[in-house]
Amino acid sequence: MTSNGMSKKSHKPTPKSEHGTTRSYVIGFVLSLIFTVIPYYLVTNKTIAGSALLATILGIAVLQMFIQIFFFLHLGRGPKPFYNVVFFFATAGIIVIVIGASLFIMNNLYHNMSPGEVVRKQAQDEGISQVGGAQTGACQGNKDNHIVVIKDGVASPAHTQANRCDTLTFLNQDKGKREMVFGPHPNYHSYGGEDMVVLDDGRPETITLNETGGFMFHDHLYPNLNGHLTVAP
Amino acid sequence: MKEFWLGKLNSHALPHEWFTILGSISFIMLGLTVIALLTYTKRWKWLWNEWLTSVDPKKIGIMYFIVGGFMLLRGGLDAIMIWLQQSLSSGASHGYLSAEHFQQVFTAHGNIMVFFVAMGLIFGLINYIVPLQIGARDLASPFMNTLGFWLYVAGVVMVNMFFLFGGEYAATGWLAVAPLSGKAFSPGVGVDYWIWSLQISGVGTTLGAINFIMTILKMRAKGMTLLKMPLFTWGSLCSMIMAVSVFPLLTMTLFLVFFDRYFGTHFFTTDAGGNAMMYTNLIWMWGHPEVYILMLPSFGVFSEIVSTFSHKPIAYYKSNVLGMIGVSTLALSVWLHHFFTMGASAEVNSAFGVATMIIAIPTTVLVFSWIATMYKGRIRFTTPMLWFLGFIGIFALGGISGVLLAIPPVDFQLHNSLFLVAHFHSTVIGGVLFGIFAGLNYWFPKIAGFRLNERIGRYAVWCWIIGFFVAFTPLYVLGLMGATRRLDHYDASKGWQPFYIMAFVGGLIIAAGVALQIVQIIASFIQRKRLRDTTGDPWDGRTLEWATASPPPSYNFAVIPQVSTRDAYFEMKQLHTPKHAYEDIHMPKNTASGIYISIFAFLAGFGFVWEINWLAVVSIIGIIVCLITRTFNEDSEYTIPAEVVKKMEKAQAAKVRTEHGSNSDDEADMGLIEFVKTVLAWALGMALSIVRKKR
Amino acid sequence: MTHHVETHEEAANDRVMFGFWVYLMTDLLMFAILFAVYAVLHGNTMGGPAGRDLFKPELALAETLILLTSSFTAGIGMIAARRGIKRQVLVWFGITFLLGLAFLGIELFEFAEFIHEGHTMTVNAFLSSFFVLVGTHGLHITSGLLWLAILLAFITKRGLTKANVRKLALLSLFWHFLDIVWIFIFTVVYLRAFV
Repeated sequence: MTSNGMSKKSHKPTPKSEHGTTRSYVIGFVLSLIFTVIPYYLVTNKTIAGSALLATILGIAVLQMFIQIFFFLHLGRGPKPFYNVVFFFATAGIIVIVIGASLFIMNNLYHNMSPGEVVRKQAQDEGISQVGGAQTGACQGNKDNHIVVIKDGVASPAHTQANRCDTLTFLNQDKGKREMVFGPHPNYHSYGGEDMVVLDDGRPETITLNETGGFMFHDHLYPNLNGHLTVAP
Repeated sequence: MKEFWLGKLNSHALPHEWFTILGSISFIMLGLTVIALLTYTKRWKWLWNEWLTSVDPKKIGIMYFIVGGFMLLRGGLDAIMIWLQQSLSSGASHGYLSAEHFQQVFTAHGNIMVFFVAMGLIFGLINYIVPLQIGARDLASPFMNTLGFWLYVAGVVMVNMFFLFGGEYAATGWLAVAPLSGKAFSPGVGVDYWIWSLQISGVGTTLGAINFIMTILKMRAKGMTLLKMPLFTWGSLCSMIMAVSVFPLLTMTLFLVFFDRYFGTHFFTTDAGGNAMMYTNLIWMWGHPEVYILMLPSFGVFSEIVSTFSHKPIAYYKSNVLGMIGVSTLALSVWLHHFFTMGASAEVNSAFGVATMIIAIPTTVLVFSWIATMYKGRIRFTTPMLWFLGFIGIFALGGISGVLLAIPPVDFQLHNSLFLVAHFHSTVIGGVLFGIFAGLNYWFPKIAGFRLNERIGRYAVWCWIIGFFVAFTPLYVLGLMGATRRLDHYDASKGWQPFYIMAFVGGLIIAAGVALQIVQIIASFIQRKRLRDTTGDPWDGRTLEWATASPPPSYNFAVIPQVSTRDAYFEMKQLHTPKHAYEDIHMPKNTASGIYISIFAFLAGFGFVWEINWLAVVSIIGIIVCLITRTFNEDSEYTIPAEVVKKMEKAQAAKVRTEHGSNSDDEADMGLIEFVKTVLAWALGMALSIVRKKR
Repeated sequence: MTHHVETHEEAANDRVMFGFWVYLMTDLLMFAILFAVYAVLHGNTMGGPAGRDLFKPELALAETLILLTSSFTAGIGMIAARRGIKRQVLVWFGITFLLGLAFLGIELFEFAEFIHEGHTMTVNAFLSSFFVLVGTHGLHITSGLLWLAILLAFITKRGLTKANVRKLALLSLFWHFLDIVWIFIFTVVYLRAFV
């Protein structure tokens, strides 16, 4: 399938202009052959693997593109068509944006909008907690919400009385982050599937009270900030 | 058998609802009137030879104006229908439109205004003015020019075709978001009409953009470097480079929607792995740059107008250019702000939010350039200048509301609310439309040979400005109150109705403005002898287009001028540059290829809409055959010999000497009352003469 | 470097080449959309076979080499055209045509096999994006072959006029560009499936 009988020599000296010489086509052809076979070999023989292989073959493809652009299309050779070069690089830039940004955006959307993620966000918004990763089916529907406000290093109310499946919202009105844990200082345990409730500045977090009993909670960085919670069945 | 020949077409597709019957009859009556007039005045051959097959960008420009203007009225009618429905439809009342119909009306309104009004009128301006401004005789490819125009017309016909066949347009919003635009949720032909009207005219736009770029980059007069070009040419160049960059994205995305509907592929479906969010991503990748494509020529127009009517060269020319380039480049990086709420993470949203806000900076550079130009200038408040002032106020409001919307948390509240609607109408009406109106007023003397009536023009501007604020301020308020866009009905308890009614009143004021613009043209025509522009330079202009007669001869310039500075014509006037010897002029011949190809394109689209496969295939073959025939046509130019050019130029010079120069003082311009009197007198005269003839 | 005043014809020639180049850039952008769509959707096989199960890398390699060679022969043919040697033009571009036909043949064979096994473009998003991306390229190749055939017929009849040489130059540009697009299809579609 290779070309046959072609003349490798130029009969008259052809001007080195934006039109091609036989030599440039031959060089371009041979180089392209090499850079076609290499990635093929790499992939079929799995000499490298994974993302390194992907990056390599993509890089080689881009390289071959430039080879063909220079040797076959003669771009960037003569002083003339300068606009062609400009337009080519502008187009290349736009293609990078179109493909690259699409991949980035769609990937981001995929992770943020996948069914599991959507449910997790919804659960967090509505305060339905999960125990051990599984949503507690027993706690559905409207229940009471209790609010514990953290301000000036004090949690108020200091004691909260609630029923099982109610929700509890910690509201951090202090300056700085709060990290609420359950149990007496210095020990703490997880509650309702939550090891620690991190409250950013001014932020609320809601948990579902699906374990009955009496529990202390405190900020494990500033244990003087503490309170008590009783959950009736 | 019938299915093979007619596809999905059947008698039910013919008009049988009140609006399709009304629409069809209107179009047919209009068509019959035109046909009757042409036949009565025996002007068919003239129309074909002088206008339809013309490749002269001046003639093509005028045809764009006519079609675009007509579509402005059509889209405006849609707007009035929307205003009326929304003012009536509160509480127990449901207005006069069904929900389904209402959805089609606002979809059509958006498509028509963006694709067929704005793009059409802008292409008209660029076609007419840019070759004159750069000292060229024609565009780089006259054939592509006429082809682009007729493809645009095919799109216009397609978007109105549903009146006659099918009775429904897309009910999906102007960008037909997936999966609503898929076959499962829109099984009728409405979305198919949407696809093909946009696809066909989109190809025309792409070809036109390539043509304009070739022309501006390769056909400038000697000595006119890029940084000596007039700013309208710069704006057009930036706009067309953007067009060439993003219209291919639209073309392919439309093809993908078409494949989903026609062949059952799964690009944007809800099943089998389709990803509807990808459609939103792709369509806005085109959609956002599109609005800047519309905007940049208007920026260029305003630069010209401010400079001419302040009697000063534009201040900070290079910054102005950089501002336009900056807007164009940044426009390609912000599209996600149209779907902040689709679910991307905060990092992604904020990146695009910041990018969106940055666009305000180069835009402001332009505004400062204009203000600096006006500073210490001798300002004349002609009608174009008034349009500019209206633009500054309204567009600034739109820009500010845009920067607000660019903040993702704010957008979560205001996305798809009437606040958004008010924002984009502020920018599009204040920016794009006012720019087009200003440009048309400014260059009208050059195009028609007489200037427009200033008095009535002023009334029109004020109606538009006041009408705009009356119509859209309530929408800003409604949006902040929580009103969503595209509502065909709302609860009376919301308390929104008074605002909608006020918006409708504003719409009527705008309609009065449009009526006054039509009156302006007619009144100017009546007084055209007095308003005639004999010198070719009615405003004491600065750029090359004013160096020609009004209207210019077919070859634009007898001798292509040599340029050495910006504001080339101003320079010529100061230096009284001598003329060079006349040479033979090569001009392109007329061609009907553009018309034939567009007819085939329309038929192919129609075939795809109704699944008439044989028609689609035959039409595509027809397009290919026409193209091949055209490319092998070696006989596409004719020559005007130098002596003929000399004669034509001498005749023009003689006219200038004998007729009086036009005055741009408007004391003798007729006012509204005088216009009404004139028209009544004419009508009475006509009626009497008909009665006398009968006797 | 010699500066000479461009003739009316040279200027027109230069404009046409540039305009065609700009058109090629728009075509590249259309392919970019198809690549983006393929990149996003190629994993959505809905449990069905993926590229690695369907593609035959040897076939893809053969197609790539054939197209590359045809791009080379088109270049050599172009040199002959600028020198005005009609016979060489017909030979080299004739070889290009045959190679192009061979490429299409292999591609159609591959498509036919998939369709026969029930992997049509309506099955899932992966197959939709595969067929449309590769198929669009194939359609471009077909248009190029049609264009070439007509052009060669014209050159046989009317000889190597300046206009014909210019049209040949445009076609070569188109052909080289299609080879470049194929490099990426080869890499992103076929090779990547096996990474």
